[in-house]
Amino acid sequence: MRRNLISVVLVLICSFALVCLAGCPSGQAVKSDSELTTQDQLAAEEATALAEETAREQALLEELLAEADSFNNIHFAFDKYDLNLESRNVLGLLAEWLQEHTDFNVTIEGHCDDRGTIAYNLALGERRADAAKAYLVNLGVTGGKIATISYGEELPVDPRNTPAAWAKNRRDHFIVFPQKQ
Amino acid sequence: MRKTTSFLIFLLILLWGSTACGKVYIDINSPAFQKFPVAIPEFKNIGKPGTEKNYPAWFADQLSRTLKITGFFKLISKDAFLENQDNTNLTAEEIDFSNWSSIGSDFLIKGGFSYDGSRLSVEFRLFDTIEGKLVTGKKYWGKPDEKKIMVLRFADEILMALTGKAGVFDTKIAFIGKKGNSSEVYTVNFDGSDLDRITDFNSLTLLPHWSPDGSEISFTSYKNGNPDCYIINPAKRKTRRISSFSGLNLLTSWSSNGKQALIVLSRDGNEEIYIKYLRSGKLQRLTRAHAIDVSPAWSPDGQKIAFVSNRSGSPQIFIMDSEGKKTKRLTFEGYYNSSPCWSPDGTRIAYAGSSNGQFQIFTIGENGDKLMQLTFEAGGGESPSWSPDGRYLVFSSKKNGQGRICVINSNGLSLRVLPGINGVKTYQSPSWSRHLNLY
Repeated sequence: MRRNLISVVLVLICSFALVCLAGCPSGQAVKSDSELTTQDQLAAEEATALAEETAREQALLEELLAEADSFNNIHFAFDKYDLNLESRNVLGLLAEWLQEHTDFNVTIEGHCDDRGTIAYNLALGERRADAAKAYLVNLGVTGGKIATISYGEELPVDPRNTPAAWAKNRRDHFIVFPQKQ
Repeated sequence: MRKTTSFLIFLLILLWGSTACGKVYIDINSPAFQKFPVAIPEFKNIGKPGTEKNYPAWFADQLSRTLKITGFFKLISKDAFLENQDNTNLTAEEIDFSNWSSIGSDFLIKGGFSYDGSRLSVEFRLFDTIEGKLVTGKKYWGKPDEKKIMVLRFADEILMALTGKAGVFDTKIAFIGKKGNSSEVYTVNFDGSDLDRITDFNSLTLLPHWSPDGSEISFTSYKNGNPDCYIINPAKRKTRRISSFSGLNLLTSWSSNGKQALIVLSRDGNEEIYIKYLRSGKLQRLTRAHAIDVSPAWSPDGQKIAFVSNRSGSPQIFIMDSEGKKTKRLTFEGYYNSSPCWSPDGTRIAYAGSSNGQFQIFTIGENGDKLMQLTFEAGGGESPSWSPDGRYLVFSSKKNGQGRICVINSNGLSLRVLPGINGVKTYQSPSWSRHLNLY
């Protein structure tokens, strides 16, 4: 009689345990409401932190790109490719910036006004771009980060036929851009 | 005795022959040349009545237009004609030449046509009204849509008879048309017809040059992000890239046999001139100065090369031999001289020279003599190119800041502007082909 009772109690206990185990989700036991909130909160905070980080990086990049865009054109006298004082100042700032932000490169475009013939102006534009490159290299910028291209008289910024327009067109233009990842 | 007779007969033939061949043509290249005044009344229907369509006026107009663009003729206005226009007098015996010489028309062209529904036959006659006789006459048969060819053929006959050489109606001019920041190569016939766009790269295109046989056009294009040199065969619709060194690749002159070209490259540190062997691709360097050396142009006999260099301080034209040696300066007038182009007979070089702050077209003898200014345009003149007969130059000139293509006789007379294309704002860098046997 007693033996039967013990077996029954054992079975009951086992069943209860089984039911308990079967009824619970794998592993964790949810203890209380407050703990649930904390878990979600942590995840949400992490997500926010990540988003903020990305936004910061994006803003930084945009700031950098804006800075990169801020280097003014430098200008030249007619049929010349000498760098004047103002040009050398701009190039000095550009050199400094490039050495600080080493994952940026620059393309220097050489341009001319439309006096002078097309082929000669292609060569002159090239001289103007090369002069700026040589100056940057002298200041310590790695040559490999600097590309040059001449457009001769083909892409004026000011199409008018006046000395003021011509002066604007005789220029080097800088395109500073992040290297491809 | 027999020997003397044969010798005398031989002499006689020689004399007769020499006087017959000794025609002296008016020098149309002289600046003193006066245009030939010519009247061209409507052509007459000598076939079945009612079949004339618009041919009477069409032939007269087309021939007038064709002669006008040669720059050698002055067309007498229809309003001045004295002769009764209902007459069908086509031969010298029937024409009262005083009707024409009295209105200042030294020359008269009369034509008659006959159309039987499928075949058109046209007679053309050129008369000298002062001498009162026929100069030359021709008859052509063909389909109605060949009527323009008939007109061009007779225009060639007229030019041959009066100037000693046929015309250049079978030549084309290649040039660059620019829209915004992109430009393409176009070709057009000398008379402004058959305008064709040749390239479609939607990027900057520069400096087109015809190959000597007229089958290809070389040019420089930025379509790959760098000024590279290409050659296109328009008929085969094939383009190949022939030079893509970093920096400049500018082909500006083909050899007369079409096998080599002069190209400017900056790959060796600065702009130098090379001969490129087009089949093997081999390069032969010609210049070694630190200066800018550009725009090389081969002489027709291949012995000399004219080019532009600023080695003496500002851009001037120099001549070197085909090995790059014996360099001599050619231009000494003006502070900037560029774009040399050799005349087909090798005696003169056309170029763009600075004058009063802009460029005009000049020609100079290859020995530096006979300097002549050809243009005095408000818009200046650049990029000259000779016609294959040496009688004309095509060049670009500016109006309101935009470039236009102009043709001038090589004596500086008869400037005319090629008509424009819709949407293209500015035109530059014309290049004249050789005779292309278009008709």
